Amino acid sequence: MSIHNPILIIISPLLAAFLVLLTRKYKTILATVSILASIVFVSTLSSQILSGNKITYHLGDWGGPLGISLVVDGLSFFFSLIILGLGLLVIIYSIPEKRYGRTYYFLLLISLSSMIGVIYTADIFNMYVFYELLSLAVYLLIAYPKTGVTLRASFNYLIMGGVGLSFFLLGIGFLYAMTGTLDIFHIAERLPAAFDSSMRMVIMSFVLVATGIGIKIAVFPLYGWLPDAHSMAPSPVSALLSGVTVKIGIYCLIRVIYTVFSTEIFLLIGNNNILLVLGVVSLLFGASMALAQKGLKRLLAYSTINQLGIVLIGLGIGTELGLTGALFHVLNHTIMKSTLFFCAGIMIAETGTRDMKGLSGFGRQQPAITFSFVIASLGMIGIPPVNGFVSKWMICLAAVEVGHIVLVVIILISSAIAATYYFRAIQVLFSSPPKPNSMTAHEGGPVIYGGNFYRSWPIYILVAGCLLFGLLPVLGISLVKPAVSLLLFNVVP
Amino acid sequence: MTPINISLLVFTIGLYGVMSKNNLIKKIMGLTIMNGSIVLFFISIGYREAGLAPILEKGMTSSIPTTILVDPLPQALMLTAIVIGISVTALALALVVKIYAKYKTLDIQQLSKER
Repeated sequence: MSIHNPILIIISPLLAAFLVLLTRKYKTILATVSILASIVFVSTLSSQILSGNKITYHLGDWGGPLGISLVVDGLSFFFSLIILGLGLLVIIYSIPEKRYGRTYYFLLLISLSSMIGVIYTADIFNMYVFYELLSLAVYLLIAYPKTGVTLRASFNYLIMGGVGLSFFLLGIGFLYAMTGTLDIFHIAERLPAAFDSSMRMVIMSFVLVATGIGIKIAVFPLYGWLPDAHSMAPSPVSALLSGVTVKIGIYCLIRVIYTVFSTEIFLLIGNNNILLVLGVVSLLFGASMALAQKGLKRLLAYSTINQLGIVLIGLGIGTELGLTGALFHVLNHTIMKSTLFFCAGIMIAETGTRDMKGLSGFGRQQPAITFSFVIASLGMIGIPPVNGFVSKWMICLAAVEVGHIVLVVIILISSAIAATYYFRAIQVLFSSPPKPNSMTAHEGGPVIYGGNFYRSWPIYILVAGCLLFGLLPVLGISLVKPAVSLLLFNVVP
Repeated sequence: MTPINISLLVFTIGLYGVMSKNNLIKKIMGLTIMNGSIVLFFISIGYREAGLAPILEKGMTSSIPTTILVDPLPQALMLTAIVIGISVTALALALVVKIYAKYKTLDIQQLSKER
């Protein structure tokens, strides 16, 4: 039983996804139970991973370069924890909404299971297939309300995502042509020889793969789809998109840089400066665009571009401290951004408007939700007792260590801009309550069971996480540690 | 022109179509062309001039040099990729039908003006 755990983690939501289509009554219970089962399977692996082992599972007992294998190491374990944790909360948050039928849970479970597939698989073509499956489910989730804007946002994302994944697949083709294998670790073994004989092909494949992933993580010039898709989707889906779907791209980028093109080749091809420049540009661009937004969820979407810039800077610095900061910031950003999107979902459902001005007075009606919103935005800005501060601080320290003082200044400037737009939102929340005639919510009758009581629990859990990781950063760092030592030294701690 | 070069050329044609055309259907056609070029690319990686089918029959020794056997793996991969490409195209077309029913236009310039 325990040998088969890695595949069971993927299969459990996948099986539940198809069962959900058969039942109308038990769909939420089934979805929750399947994710809980996956979490149990992951936690059985945790002791082995945290002590530094690597678990390899050969599908159908076909080992070596021929078969497909699943690999659970520090890095993939860390990302799968994030995905399953947030996936569970997203499902719980969606339960009270009447609008979400069986297909919604079907797509949600398919996307969660394929995310874990992307992360665990050691076969690069398999990674592409899972990524495409994930994208298909996500396009449909964005278009789920079937309004004009969501359809357009979904179509835009589909075209951009399709182009991105085509680039990725073409890059895989180049890798296969050079090395004759698709297993990530075997490619890594054979690539140095290929680099000596045909350097241009290696560079070409790296450029193609990196461009493909770059579209998926919305680095500066390729961000076009993100603001629409993230702001127009239903709120739980926005939280999923901003929280974890983008992080899958980050994971693929780390895998490609550190495992496939091992660091030496990566340094020969260009150097870390590519990542630093892209990170800085996305950081400043995201921050300044967020400043100009009127809609609350659109602001949060641009803020995602901003925060991913910080992660890229951390990866670009590439020292132990920088990588720890970057991975820790991935975790923190997931927690904070999903809190914000969950809060925004409640605010939009209560006030009936996406415009930030319409939110005035919300702070007095629902102090608890507003308080959570404030804490998470403080984390986004990077103010000490909240988790966002710790990871930003680590990245700044790493930048000083390497001697890039400019980076620290840029991160501080972007934090100042972030403070401006988040405080503007908070100020609106606490301003005087709206005039009675502007309350246009609940036109088609109440959409939510039992008010927002059930929906607020995931928010409280996430806010507790924000404060916990802010006050005791050691907890988060101990999760990240195996991944970092794997990346840097290719050995177990 | 080797098949690989041709496939890369077709890939850029598809990319051009996706980026520069205003009509949604033409964008989808561009995406399909890109997908087709990738299929051509993979198949030409596995192709061997006057190669044998990679099947081990009775009486053959397993010591045939692999250089004269056609590589079967890219073909297997491309079956998967074709299926994925078709599902993406189908989803895109379904979205276009819905968009057309709502806005009565397929031009992306006019769509971006709509609220």
